Amino acid sequence: MNKQRWETRPLEIWGKAKELRAQWQRSINEAAERPGAMLAHGNTGEFDWSIGFDDLTVIEDNPVGAMMASKSDAFSRKCRLASEVRGWGREICGYVQNCWGSQFLGYEMDDGAFPFRDMSIPFPDPCDQHLKRGQQCMDLSPIPRWGADYPMYLGPLDPKREQAFIDHTVYCYLQIIDDIERIFDHKFDDEKMIGSLNILPALREQALRISRLMTHTPAPIGQKELYSFYTLGLLTKVDPKETLDFWTSFADEVQWRVDNHIAAVATERFRWMEAHPSPWNFLKYFRYMEKYGAVCIGSQYSHIISGPIELGEDGQFHHIQRKKPPEGQEIRTREDAFRHIFTEARGYRFKDDEYCRKWTITDFAKGFHVDGAIMPLWRGGVGCTLTRKEQGLRLSEMGVHVLHYEGSQPGDRTDLDERRFLDQLDTWMESLGLEKLEA
Amino acid sequence: MITAGVDVGLMNTKIVILRDKEVAAQRTKQSGGGGRGETVKEIWQDALKDAGIKPKDISKVVATGTGKKDVSFADKTVVEAVAAARAARFLYPESTSVVDAGADMTHVVTLGEGNTIREVVMNQKCMNGLGLVIEVMADRLGLTLDEISALAPAQGKTNPVNDGCPVFAELDALGLLNIGVDRREVAGAVTDAVVVRLSSILNDKIRPQKDTTVFIGGLAKNLAVTERLKERSGIHFLIPENAEYGGALGAAVIATDM
Repeated sequence: MNKQRWETRPLEIWGKAKELRAQWQRSINEAAERPGAMLAHGNTGEFDWSIGFDDLTVIEDNPVGAMMASKSDAFSRKCRLASEVRGWGREICGYVQNCWGSQFLGYEMDDGAFPFRDMSIPFPDPCDQHLKRGQQCMDLSPIPRWGADYPMYLGPLDPKREQAFIDHTVYCYLQIIDDIERIFDHKFDDEKMIGSLNILPALREQALRISRLMTHTPAPIGQKELYSFYTLGLLTKVDPKETLDFWTSFADEVQWRVDNHIAAVATERFRWMEAHPSPWNFLKYFRYMEKYGAVCIGSQYSHIISGPIELGEDGQFHHIQRKKPPEGQEIRTREDAFRHIFTEARGYRFKDDEYCRKWTITDFAKGFHVDGAIMPLWRGGVGCTLTRKEQGLRLSEMGVHVLHYEGSQPGDRTDLDERRFLDQLDTWMESLGLEKLEA
Repeated sequence: MITAGVDVGLMNTKIVILRDKEVAAQRTKQSGGGGRGETVKEIWQDALKDAGIKPKDISKVVATGTGKKDVSFADKTVVEAVAAARAARFLYPESTSVVDAGADMTHVVTLGEGNTIREVVMNQKCMNGLGLVIEVMADRLGLTLDEISALAPAQGKTNPVNDGCPVFAELDALGLLNIGVDRREVAGAVTDAVVVRLSSILNDKIRPQKDTTVFIGGLAKNLAVTERLKERSGIHFLIPENAEYGGALGAAVIATDM
């Protein structure tokens, strides 16, 4: 039994992270008050609409709904009930239920007025309830709603179909821009959008540094820290330069922790990974696992900020070589830009993996040197537990100890039996010969 | 050396006292509901009396089961899967897996080298309380557990009940009674539903081997369950005579190592 004990301490970057998150919240509040400003529900992951439309602020319902689930179960329950009585089933994503339930109530968790959206541009995802999302706000008031398709198919990668799917996705986005310009009389800034294309790759470089450093033992940071920061620059976007500076400082600090053997968990002796988000109302299981000297090194989901990565023969994670426009062909138009974005993104999101890159989850386990994996079986919402049992079997075959637990979904605590979950963790750890190091 | 194992389950508490690794006494009593800690102490006193010893004669006490925290006099607690694994190896050294199914949880444990565990599969939430549902149904149907245990395999299964959830199964069973289905047939249908759930846990990851899998816990005493499970899974279970004491025995064996 490993009795090594490392030094541990909080991250110094915390203050700046809180500041950025507060900036994001302020930007929403200000947009809701500012005459002429447009407020949208939608996606800011691969493409931030507000970069092209100056007066458009986009609010993701993922972080809003997750924050509600995490901070106030009582309010979250109210929201879900408000949504349910309007006919929205429990299998619909908890983030949606929380966020739009708040809309139906007319107020937010802090009693402030719910910022009603002028449009809805939900992002497509293979889950897939994302496209369903904007419907609730559209049902309440007649606002425009768009949804780009997320084409998928089963079977091996087919380059011809891939190309057709990229073309189709690009077309969807171009159509949405045309519609917004026409309906709201706002011009889309092509130059600004094209100029912004290097922001996300630069941020991903810094995030990849962090992912790589987390393969180190002791892990310099864990899932708790990733979850605290991973939306900054993706789902909660603020000033791009400040965001990039933040990630650079964060990576530098993690490097310093590795150099000085600063651990996320002082008694690390067991490393585990996860699949998809945690139950946001019950994050204390991370600390509970620390009592066993167990550290969570993240999941494909929380490392998504690094972009599309794969494990190289050198045992390190690398960015998947991006497809670039042919030599000499510059990105001149918004169509070129979107083609660039979606060519890069296509087939490289971990939710696509089960049909085109099945090995990524086992590579993830290998690269991060994990001993175990906790894989939730959600009844609905994020990922809908798509192929989770198959992934569990593959991990099990490579010697990774797998634990499944059940719950409604990350944003909805209804079906999660907290006591039972902790009992399962005890069984998991003790059956592996690990006893608690502290009460 | 005298050691003891206390298994506090959802419905019953079981105690095994070992003297030089031989069973000196074993006791069980219903202990569900409130005030369980006090009931456990009463059973403890009875077990000591049966063994003709005093508390100071006991070297170590290990508690297990869902109510293990209620055993105030235990030196240590272990999870049910660990106790089940030790019991299996103690009773059948050649065993490779153990199924522990009681009123509450079901564990399927794949054994590793020596006393190690290779894998544990626990029932999903919808499969909780398999033993409890049989007890509740026995009460509803006016049958004893022995009568349910002696039920012949269902023929034709014309009236199945929900096999996805014990609560739904109970509601379906009551519905069958309401339309005049014979109570023994209803009890058989509930037993079948329990067996379907149990077999799905057996098939979750590593499949237990045909001739070296031990079955302990209260459900292992139910002949209707074990026979139907054997038929369904093809596994010829090794079932000890006092299968319901499996967890307590495993805990007592662990206490001998302390």
